[in-house]
Amino acid sequence: MDEIIVTINGSQLRGSEGMTILEVAQENGIDIPTLCYKTELKPIGACRICVVEVEGSRTLVGSCHTPIAQGMVIHTHSPKVLETRKTIVELLLASHPDSCIICDKGNMCELRKIAADMEVALPPFKVRKRYYPIEDTSPYIVRDLSKCILCRRCVRSCSEIAEKNVFAVAYRGFKSKVVVDFDEPIDKEVCRDCDVCTRFCPTGALSKPREVGEEKKGEALFISG
Amino acid sequence: MARINSNTELEELRQEILSKRDQNKPRIAVCAGTGCLASGAAKVIAALKEEIKKQGLNADVDIKETGCPGFCERGPIMVIYPEEICYLQVKPDDIPEIISETIKERKVIDRLLYTDPTTGEKVTHESEIPFYKNQKRLLIGTNINIDPKSIEDYLAIGGYRALAKALFDMTPEQVLEEVKRANLRGRGGGGFPAAKKWETTRNVPREPKYVIVNADEGDPGAFMDRAVLEGNPHSVLEGLVISAYTIGSHEGFIYVRQEYPLAVENVDIAIKQAEEYGFLGQNILGSGFDFIVNVHRGAGAFVSGESSALMTAIEGKVGEPRPKYIRTAVSGIWERPSNLNNVETLANVPLIINNGAEWFTSIGTEGSKGTKIFSLVGKVNNTGLVEVPMGMSLREIIYNIGGGIPGDKKFKAVQTGGPSGGVIPEQYLDTPVDFDELTKLGSMMGSGGMIVMDEDTCVVDVARYFVDFLCDESCGKCIPCREGLKHMREVLNNIVEGKGNEGDIELLEELSRLMTKASLCALGTSAANPVSTTIRYFGDEYQAHIKESKCPALVCKELVSYYIEPSKCQACMICLRNCPVEAISGGKNQIHVIDQAKCIKCGVCFDACPTRFGAVIKISGEPVPASLPEKERSLVRGKK
Repeated sequence: MDEIIVTINGSQLRGSEGMTILEVAQENGIDIPTLCYKTELKPIGACRICVVEVEGSRTLVGSCHTPIAQGMVIHTHSPKVLETRKTIVELLLASHPDSCIICDKGNMCELRKIAADMEVALPPFKVRKRYYPIEDTSPYIVRDLSKCILCRRCVRSCSEIAEKNVFAVAYRGFKSKVVVDFDEPIDKEVCRDCDVCTRFCPTGALSKPREVGEEKKGEALFISG
Repeated sequence: MARINSNTELEELRQEILSKRDQNKPRIAVCAGTGCLASGAAKVIAALKEEIKKQGLNADVDIKETGCPGFCERGPIMVIYPEEICYLQVKPDDIPEIISETIKERKVIDRLLYTDPTTGEKVTHESEIPFYKNQKRLLIGTNINIDPKSIEDYLAIGGYRALAKALFDMTPEQVLEEVKRANLRGRGGGGFPAAKKWETTRNVPREPKYVIVNADEGDPGAFMDRAVLEGNPHSVLEGLVISAYTIGSHEGFIYVRQEYPLAVENVDIAIKQAEEYGFLGQNILGSGFDFIVNVHRGAGAFVSGESSALMTAIEGKVGEPRPKYIRTAVSGIWERPSNLNNVETLANVPLIINNGAEWFTSIGTEGSKGTKIFSLVGKVNNTGLVEVPMGMSLREIIYNIGGGIPGDKKFKAVQTGGPSGGVIPEQYLDTPVDFDELTKLGSMMGSGGMIVMDEDTCVVDVARYFVDFLCDESCGKCIPCREGLKHMREVLNNIVEGKGNEGDIELLEELSRLMTKASLCALGTSAANPVSTTIRYFGDEYQAHIKESKCPALVCKELVSYYIEPSKCQACMICLRNCPVEAISGGKNQIHVIDQAKCIKCGVCFDACPTRFGAVIKISGEPVPASLPEKERSLVRGKK
């Protein structure tokens, strides 16, 4: 494997061919926020939270899917990058329900964590939310599409890991949504209890029907400052 | 028809076709392109056929249903050869006269000729009409001579000569070198050097390789590729086969919009004919080179014109862009190297091979060579397709070819590059039009849409319109484009409705920056152009909307009011009778008054009031004058 040297935030770092900017950064302890990216899944560059500035590039590039190249000069936290990430989170919050306080995802919500880390409070945009009914007819999944941020982790994990292809994205633009079959509610006909998608969902859009006595698991959100 | 198996056979066939054609035989060419068909060309053609039959001239006159020559404003267009008499706006009723006068007597009918609006002079020949005279029509100039459904017509004008030359006299390397020296840049909007793309795909050590024609022209008001594909499909096919030969590809796709039925039909016919004649399929022209073409019909998504989205769509998936950290030229359809070129780019290829790179580079500017087709639409006298050398100024295109703005209105701005292009104001009218200059102004060449706006156009409303379009066409994959456009639309809707707030402009600018920098594909990164350029050049109009609730162009419905000026009203009752909501009170000899509470601002009274009175006044941003007290409304007319 060829060694590639890149400059990230002023320090020279080594990586091998085929590695992405994000991978090199993570290896060296540089924290780049991600939403649609998961190590287990193929990157799709949809959420644009992980964008970084690469010198010589006209636009910011998604670090999760851009391979490093010899001599690349990268800034992961330049003012331009931070402004962009902040606006993206603001846009997401503007169309997300304000029900964090009663949401089952609670302190495990990745959107909330990123918003807290970036100190994003109330968005300056006129709030425009999506409302969908909660689907709880399936014994395996409870789905609240109002909380969906369209990161497609469920779509990809179901296809790449569970290999079931239950989900797809339908419609387009602001109206696009994750659907099952021809946009039908989730029920047991289409889905089994593999529990892959619910673990991959960053927000409270997909969850398991709560069983009595089950505690919330996982790492609790730590808000600094 | 037997397949052609060598260059000599091709030339023999060409001679045979030409020898059968009598150049002096009267030939009536009628444009059967979409524009002229919409203005009634089908009826004209039917009437023509019937009349010729009736007068027993079947053997003496040829009728040709051709592609679009460009002057759509004056369709249906008819050109009569060999004299090249050009008749405009021909109606079925004119046909008997045309046959008996022009065809039989060789007399020109003045009434149907082009009249110069300034001098009033009649222009007989097509090439002398100012609209055509100022153009350089390398690609669409031959359209009027070709029946797109006949391969013989294309062969008669030298068709497939470039293909034979490439296959027999040139190596793929030489073709590549020629196109590279010609500096042919992608006509689809990006302006990326075509040869560079070809080379990338060519050098990838993976098989199979694909070549694709991008005919997914989805811009509102643009129809360049449509006209080329409908009018001269073989030129695109020829370019495609040459590109395949250069790249080493044996399978190609034409991605064409389902909404272009005539283009789909003509391309299908052209492929069939080309296969019969041996320009496509196995062992093309006996050279040993194989190449097949599939037509893929797009399902109507603007974003599918983007290269990676187009290829995803050909794979049978939803047309969504994917991150292009590896270029589609390297990894495209089914992760195979795939070269994508625009219709117009490929139509240029045979010209370059036939005439050489030197000839091609002699046209155009330093960085942009050759010609470019624009669809000139909006508030301009001569709507239609224009093909000009790169570097012609916007002013020349709009005034010399387009004939200026109708009704002596003042020019306000021109929008180039389709919905994601920018709006260019008057002070930049002398900018030469090429890839680099337009980008400097914050707009782009795009695929060649050119929308002219006059003083009656509100730029905020225009920006809102394009954002609205893009918002519906965004695929919804990445957040900046999906959510950003939605909020942009919201803010703009508020502004045009007079509900704008302080800080809205900054918000729009913030969203523009985000979308331009962080979107996944070119739709998102360019989507903010209409907004950012209108803010840059017409910021005061935004301010007027927000701060004074005033639409300076008097367009935004919520911000205008109508009232009747008492001193001008002649109590003619016309507006009163036309008002759909009975908001106007008055009567005979009673000055009319609009009830502002009932008025729905439809503007019917404004249009209905006779111009010699001009009593209905449209205002914006100022209070409506108090109406006359009821007892003072009787009209006192001057003594006769």
